[in-house]
Amino acid sequence: MKRIMIDPQKCDGCKNCSAACMQAHRAGAGTIYDLDLTDPANESRNYILKDGKGSYKPLFCRHCDDPECVKSCMSGALYKDPESGHVFYDEERCGSCFMCVMNCPFGVLKPDRVEKRRVIKCDFCVDAGGDPSCVAACPKKAIQVEEV
Amino acid sequence: MRYVIIGAGVAGVEAAKVIRAQDIEGQIVMVSADTDVHSRCMLHKFIAGERDERGLDFTEKDFFERYQIQWIKGVRAAGLDTEKKQVRLEDGRSISFDKLLLANGADSFIPPVGELRKASNVYGLRNLTDAQAIVAAAEDAKNVLVIGSGLVGLDAAYGLLERGKKLTVVEMADQILPVQLDKNGAKAYQERFEQAGVKFVLGRKASEAGCEADGKIAKVTLDNGESLPCDMIIVAAGVRPSLSWLEGSKIACGRGIEVDAGMKTSAEDIYAAGDITGLSGIWPNAADQGRIAGRNMCGGQAAYTDTYAVKNTINFFGLVTLCVGKIRPEDGDLVYVREDQKKYERAIVKDGKVEGILLQGDISNSGFWQYLIKNKIDISSIEKDVFSISYADFYQIGEKGKYQWKV
Repeated sequence: MKRIMIDPQKCDGCKNCSAACMQAHRAGAGTIYDLDLTDPANESRNYILKDGKGSYKPLFCRHCDDPECVKSCMSGALYKDPESGHVFYDEERCGSCFMCVMNCPFGVLKPDRVEKRRVIKCDFCVDAGGDPSCVAACPKKAIQVEEV
Repeated sequence: MRYVIIGAGVAGVEAAKVIRAQDIEGQIVMVSADTDVHSRCMLHKFIAGERDERGLDFTEKDFFERYQIQWIKGVRAAGLDTEKKQVRLEDGRSISFDKLLLANGADSFIPPVGELRKASNVYGLRNLTDAQAIVAAAEDAKNVLVIGSGLVGLDAAYGLLERGKKLTVVEMADQILPVQLDKNGAKAYQERFEQAGVKFVLGRKASEAGCEADGKIAKVTLDNGESLPCDMIIVAAGVRPSLSWLEGSKIACGRGIEVDAGMKTSAEDIYAAGDITGLSGIWPNAADQGRIAGRNMCGGQAAYTDTYAVKNTINFFGLVTLCVGKIRPEDGDLVYVREDQKKYERAIVKDGKVEGILLQGDISNSGFWQYLIKNKIDISSIEKDVFSISYADFYQIGEKGKYQWKV
């Protein structure tokens, strides 16, 4: 399967990846130049965290081999796609219990900010052909897609 | 090889999937009282009328065909012969097995108060059939009394609010959700339920409940003498492992069926998983137990080690909460609180270790807390406010780009 490989040393915290993710998952049409960064409905699925020493730690869904989010899902909304190996989310089936948020050992998942009804989760930009927008946007090549 | 699984909840379903992955030829038979596979965590959505039976199914499409499972539904297991390796069903049939999984869950506990156990208008909320019965009874009911304000009691209230019923919830403790939350966190939910029209009676117990001539309870009297009129009663006072059919079967039982780390019971080739073991009432844990039992039924050596179960997420009225670990601070604990209009956060720390976390209003990226608490990870060297701790402080990338915990 394909995974976004991370080199945290190369990350300089610019958050182009997060802006690209918001653009890729925005509700209406438009370009990044008219993307409303303050609209709570525009949410990124990736995060640049900082440790206590100020180092950047990019947080991107691993689409784990044995995904805890899928194992904790009580509705069948989260599933590991046997073909791509990616973990996908079916909003229609989701029961909004957020046990997946609790069970991700790395804290990648979160409820949506507006209604607290959906899970905000990386979909590997599957609707855009499976080329993650974050990777294309990284000026430092700190994130790259590799076959693992 | 013939595998028989009693119960079609998550433990049974997960076990069946694991068995099929390892034994393509083997025969798998599932027996369940349930006629529809359903997630018990979504019964409130059925009561509210948001979803139908099919909408509660948590399995993949065409699950039984896909995994080639023979499903005997709508029938209870009635007896077990460990010597002959046979399960007797309530309709008289007998099914023989090579490997057996007991995963038929638990039953609602109706406390022996007054005639609660005898009355025809008292319901538990555990199975889809309970939810169906509640919906049917609610047609003609105006006043609904809910006994217990845990997650199940509030689920019932939440669902029935959608049907315009007048709800009263009685709780023994002096707060709602006493197992999951502190008083402050509970208050936020109480206010929301009250705004929606629910009346709470806290710190009170039902002491009298007698049947009328029609076999129904029309009022419940509390321990302070107050009487609450009701057309129907939902009892949400916990569950008990569903063991009665195993009486005389030589399977060792305590509170639930006793199992070793591999989910094996005291009898050869017989395993148990899920609520029937009484180990944990948490969905992910039941699923895990099912998978481990399944692996071992196929000759594996898996062990149930991730047993941590003091964890919950709550979501009512769009207010989300995550609570992991200790809820009530003890002497010597450090308690940190951060609160604003939209959120309430509280951490209990002892000897440099977080023993309990409660996050309400915003639970974004909070999954790492469970790992940190259950593994008793020391945070004293992290120079950060406790609420600013994140996975970044334990960040490490391992083989194939996987995350690991650096501690």
